[in-house]
Amino acid sequence: MAATTTITAPPTRPGVVRVVSEDDATPLARLVGRTLQQALHSGHAQEVLETTVGTVVVRSHDTPQVATIAFSGGTIDVASGAQPEPGATVVVDLNARFALTQEPEGDGVLAAAALQALTPPVPHWREAARRFWAATREIPGIPDVLVVEAVGPDGSEHDRFGEGTTTYGIAGPADLLAGIFSGADDLLVSLAAGVRIQGTLSQLSVMTAASWKVRFDV
Amino acid sequence: MSETATTGTTVRKAVRLEATNHEGSLLGKNVSPAKFEAGKESGFAFADILFAIDLGNEIVFGDAFPEWRGNLYDIAMVPDLTTLVEWKPGLDSVIGDYWLKDGRPVPICPRNLVKGLVARLAGHGYTATAAVEIEATLFEESVQEARARGYRDLTPLGGSTGATYHLARSSDWVSYMEAVVDRLDEVGIGWEAWTDEAAPGQTELNIAPTDPVRLGDSWARTRQVMREVAHELGHTVSFMAKPTAGFGQGAHINISLQSDGVNQFFAEDGLSEVMGHAVGGLLATMAGATSIVMPQITSYRRLVDLTGPPTTISWGVNNKTAAVRAITGHPKYSRLEYRLPGADVNPYFAIAVVLAGVLAGIEKQIEPPAQVTDMAWALPDSSGVERIPDTMSKAGAALAADPLLREYLGDEFVDFWVASRRWEWMEFHTKGGDPLAELSAWESRRYFEFP
Repeated sequence: MAATTTITAPPTRPGVVRVVSEDDATPLARLVGRTLQQALHSGHAQEVLETTVGTVVVRSHDTPQVATIAFSGGTIDVASGAQPEPGATVVVDLNARFALTQEPEGDGVLAAAALQALTPPVPHWREAARRFWAATREIPGIPDVLVVEAVGPDGSEHDRFGEGTTTYGIAGPADLLAGIFSGADDLLVSLAAGVRIQGTLSQLSVMTAASWKVRFDV
Repeated sequence: MSETATTGTTVRKAVRLEATNHEGSLLGKNVSPAKFEAGKESGFAFADILFAIDLGNEIVFGDAFPEWRGNLYDIAMVPDLTTLVEWKPGLDSVIGDYWLKDGRPVPICPRNLVKGLVARLAGHGYTATAAVEIEATLFEESVQEARARGYRDLTPLGGSTGATYHLARSSDWVSYMEAVVDRLDEVGIGWEAWTDEAAPGQTELNIAPTDPVRLGDSWARTRQVMREVAHELGHTVSFMAKPTAGFGQGAHINISLQSDGVNQFFAEDGLSEVMGHAVGGLLATMAGATSIVMPQITSYRRLVDLTGPPTTISWGVNNKTAAVRAITGHPKYSRLEYRLPGADVNPYFAIAVVLAGVLAGIEKQIEPPAQVTDMAWALPDSSGVERIPDTMSKAGAALAADPLLREYLGDEFVDFWVASRRWEWMEFHTKGGDPLAELSAWESRRYFEFP
């Protein structure tokens, strides 16, 4: 009798989740879609992304920007505008990483699930900078080298990314830099929050495009 | 210090240097007669930031400034002395171009872009004649009152009903238009006709056919005249693509090509070969050109089937529902009417886009697609006729991907323009514009007085 091998069946994989953004989406829909993608890829709020069912409208607290997330326990659709009669509505500060500015309307559990999905932890600034630099190499005029000075609880840390002759420097609180490099925060908005930069005006212009690429996928 | 006038009968007290920025606003500054005499050959320093300020007065970011822009370097505005006129007693006016220190034209200078394309046409032995129909909407209120109201809920001058060709407009509207053409006559701008247009308060004024550079000058100056007359009479005027949630307004460009004084668009039996290629080039570049001739967020609110503007990338003989109308069969009047631009366009860029399309068609022998003999609005997808990009972002993507417009307008201009439109799109969405509104307050504040 031939030997047999027992093969253990792989664990049942929960619903394969994917995030689908509409064509020609608005910046908010792009931001929401990109943030959910980031959560998905990093394994953040996995159960929420896989099992949540319902529609959540996300509104900006200070502009008319609005988007709708349709969770289906599998595909997550993101669209511009507000779908009528959503399960929940959250009003958030888009320059504060989707921080709630007022109590959610509708299904509180659904609203909490959406907010959890929309707030993946930002990676360490060094890892975020490495990914940022890799993702923006094709932008015309992007500087060759990024020099980062991150100020944390234990003092300043420095790092360089890339090689070449044109250099761009950026310094500031480590968490804020991590937010810029990962797309959680807006570069130009962050200047008012203490980030400092060193380079030419044209480099700042290109860095803005790079910031938008990682934040809005444009 | 004053000196003897050179353009009029009064003593010159100042000269106004004028040129458009990328948005199409007529910018400039007044200089003393002595300053003008000292710099009229070498030019006058202008900060290049004039090409980097948006209509909300923010610096536009998102592209790689070329070396010449640096950290807000100066460029030279060199006046074209053939445009020198006495604008009003004591004030002369002159239009110029932007040049770099090394003598090259600023690659994104609107007027120089037209000049370059005119020269390229001349290399083929062609001269172009172009004309434009300027549409604008007049309001009873002064600009101060309009500002105080956020440019909303204004009263159309001449009555609250829309009309076309009607002669029953009230005398305030008629007086305004008569004052405008009087001023055009005084400053030497050739006009052919004016009439009321489709919407309450709307007018159409036809600038006479002329060479493309001069047309750009006349177009930009006519908008200035219409604003100045409105201010003087206590009214206001807007060139927004849609100044209200009602009718839109466009700027149709008519063009013909001559060689040795003969209209090359004329053929006894319809389209000449040159005209056919010109149509081919205009349609091949139309999706990308949309970004340039429909420059603002509001421009796209105008693209509604059956309301006048073209909505498909189409052409047809004497078909006003198509984007390009071919007027054929007449040795003098055979021409193409490019119906896509909105009233808010930069005049020079609009002309440049048309010349680029015509040149591309001729140089690359581009055959036109089948003409649309049916109504070109609301065509089904199965017709094979594509829709005109209906958002700023779609149009920008089409321009970025258009090899022909890159070739004829230059990579530097295209990259600059695409980035500036992405900035505008982002400003609208993130600074208070509402895409779901018929016309958002953000748009009224931003576009009503500009370009």
